[in-house]
Amino acid sequence: WVGRGGGAGGGNDIQWCFSQVKGAVDDDVAEADIISTVEFNHSGELLATGDKGGRVVIFQQEQENKIQSHSRGEYNVYSTFQSHEPEFDYLKSLEIEEKINKIRWLPQKNAAQFLLSTNDKTIKLWKISERDKRPEGYNLKEEDGRYRDPTTVTTLRVPVFRPMDLMVEASPRRIFANAHTYHINSISINSDYETYLSADDLRINLWHLEITDRSFNIVDIKPANMEELTEVITAAEFHPNSCNTFVYSSSKGTIRLCDMRASALCDRHSKLFEEPEDPSNRSFFSEIISSISDVKFSHSGRYMMTRDYLSVKIWDLNMENRPVETYQVHEYLRSKLCSLYENDCIFDKFECCWNGSDSVVMTGSYNNFFRMFDRNTKRDITLEASRENNKPRTVLKPRKVCASGKRKKDEISVDSLDFNKKILHTAWHPKENIIAVATTNNLYIFQDKVN
Amino acid sequence: MECALDAQSLISISLRKIHSSRTQRGGIKLHKNLLVSYVLRNARQLYLSERYAELYRRQQQQQQQQPPHHQHQHLAYAAPGMPASAADFGPLQLGGGGDAEAREPAARHQLHQLHQLHLQQQLHQHQHPAPRGCAAAAAAGAPAGGAGALSELPGCAALQPPHGAPHRGQPLEPLQPGPAPLPLPPPAPAALCPRDPRAPAACSAPSAPPGAAPPAAAASPPASPAPASSPGFYRGAYPTPSDFGLHCSSQTTVLDLDTHVVTTVENGYLHQDCCASAHCPCCGQGAPGPGLASAAGCKRKYYPGQEEEEDDEEDAGELGAEPPGGAPFAPCKRARFEDFCPDSSPDASNISNLISIFGSGFSGLVSRQPDSSEQPPPLNGQLCAKQALASLGAWTRAIVAF
Repeated sequence: WVGRGGGAGGGNDIQWCFSQVKGAVDDDVAEADIISTVEFNHSGELLATGDKGGRVVIFQQEQENKIQSHSRGEYNVYSTFQSHEPEFDYLKSLEIEEKINKIRWLPQKNAAQFLLSTNDKTIKLWKISERDKRPEGYNLKEEDGRYRDPTTVTTLRVPVFRPMDLMVEASPRRIFANAHTYHINSISINSDYETYLSADDLRINLWHLEITDRSFNIVDIKPANMEELTEVITAAEFHPNSCNTFVYSSSKGTIRLCDMRASALCDRHSKLFEEPEDPSNRSFFSEIISSISDVKFSHSGRYMMTRDYLSVKIWDLNMENRPVETYQVHEYLRSKLCSLYENDCIFDKFECCWNGSDSVVMTGSYNNFFRMFDRNTKRDITLEASRENNKPRTVLKPRKVCASGKRKKDEISVDSLDFNKKILHTAWHPKENIIAVATTNNLYIFQDKVN
Repeated sequence: MECALDAQSLISISLRKIHSSRTQRGGIKLHKNLLVSYVLRNARQLYLSERYAELYRRQQQQQQQQPPHHQHQHLAYAAPGMPASAADFGPLQLGGGGDAEAREPAARHQLHQLHQLHLQQQLHQHQHPAPRGCAAAAAAGAPAGGAGALSELPGCAALQPPHGAPHRGQPLEPLQPGPAPLPLPPPAPAALCPRDPRAPAACSAPSAPPGAAPPAAAASPPASPAPASSPGFYRGAYPTPSDFGLHCSSQTTVLDLDTHVVTTVENGYLHQDCCASAHCPCCGQGAPGPGLASAAGCKRKYYPGQEEEEDDEEDAGELGAEPPGGAPFAPCKRARFEDFCPDSSPDASNISNLISIFGSGFSGLVSRQPDSSEQPPPLNGQLCAKQALASLGAWTRAIVAF
């Protein structure tokens, strides 16, 4: 770790280096190119991104170059496809955005890869498969596909497979539609690898991956009288090991853990995780900043992490009344909430992620900063995703925001932060110290320094 | 909490966000609008507290001049920082006597009285000429030491139990200043939305206290922690969208995302409904009279001083549309409109629709009738406003549409 004091770390300290950046260079960001989700697959070999234009781009890591072992393999484009298109619901006169809200990978069972991608209303199961051979030597067709005149065929041969340039094909295998009235915010694949859940603002549905015309509603918090609405579901996730357990977070800052064995409709939680609000921090915006934007189980399943506007909290599943750890992401924004409300930044939904060993958590911030918190050493670091550091293996310099008072050299004052440059989506390789950090329209890949 | 904006600006900004969310791509974002409505509620609480503090000061002056002939209601003054428990109300759920039951007896009592007051205002407007007080439910505030965080507001003599016969002059228990904050429901919601099944009509905010409703003795010394706003100005309640917006707006088209029913409610008829009594506030007529009328009368008293405070609410109310109630109102209103909203009246009408939904307190949502959410209200243009609003479904859908 490069701690607050700077300087090279030894031992377990990680030095993060720039590896790659993907995406357009120019500052003029096309709306469709805005990255809306980032996800490694279970092996870490594949990295998927979704954008506002409904496209999915999958990067594949090169096999490690044994000769040049100074770095791990690079990620290169593997497949690009249009997952969702804009739709118009004529009945309700509503436009349905094509923006990809979430991508979740299925564990690999055969040669093909499968992932779920979702927009506001429809979830799709995509099969990504490689084709590196093709049959040649048809009797009735020419090589270019034209049909031969059968009368000219004098001999017969058996077509054989010959190698071809690798082609990666994505095809939609299932379309799970028409199950959500409100906007889908989460999908999560169960550890049984047969079912998954999808959550919108008020309901959570359980699906079977093979069955598209039916889904079970397992949580419904829609009040009988909508004027009594006080909270919405903001995220949901299955437990990584217990296939009967899932959690969902709310806009009120609570997390409910539900057990599907208890009843068909899990409106009554098994556990309720909530930290009492600090009354001295009460403001106009208390409700907004306590809304949880992301919830993620640790790989072990023992903990879960939540992200609200200003902090990251780690919860022990065995303790409901308060988190076991709280990390301030950008507390200096607390005095700026008014402005952030005006410019809508206060509604930004930051995600968070665990590293493979659950020892470090990461989340994004503004000015293209992202933060990591080491749970063991209690040290944290702020790094920046910027093209200025775009030489491979350049060690990233820690950044510091000066909240008030005298600004030291190399510090950035709160008022000069660029709130248009926000890092909402980050992902950590399941096994290695490789992270993918999405700025507005660029994807940065950083690795730890390998000596 | 530092905030560079005052409550009114926040209200204005919030309403603008809600309004613009209707046209955003991808449909209405329920989550964001819910959060914005929380800010709206919080800002309104502060706004109202400031107003009531103002009111109290006024009443103190008048009390010294007139003998009291009305009982009054002591109310806790809501400090800007409200305890979290008070936020248990949904921002859309303005009022809620039922929830108040869980709270302290004094709070319950106050809320009860508040509901009585509103009920009175709306149901007995033609029967009770006595002036109404402004009985906003108090929110708990941390008492500020000796100065006290409590101020009093004159109550209304006509506080009555919701379902009983009126009995005037019911003495109200003063709220004793105490060291602990009271977990009261937010004043704004309670003040605006008596969830009473018999109050389907236009829900107006609590009226300005009539000049002749002085507080009783044994009041705790008032302290106004709120920053002083226009000193000479009191506006009895939350800028009443229902007073203005509903009167002057045209239609609200709402849709239920679940049943896919689209309904159109003619808001304008609320105005007719109110104006029927010829004491419509916006008609600029009438001496202080009962209920709305008295509210109107009381409010009118303060109109001249209101301009600088009302830009956002005026947005809400300023539609440019002639209120069906008639001509006399128009000049007065138009002047304000020009002062503050020279821009598009279509926007204003939309905003007024929105405000009417939030500010009306949804009293119109509580229907005497069985839940008719499955049946859209008849779209007959001459539909009685009461029925239109009484139809729970229409407004539920309105919220859903957000």
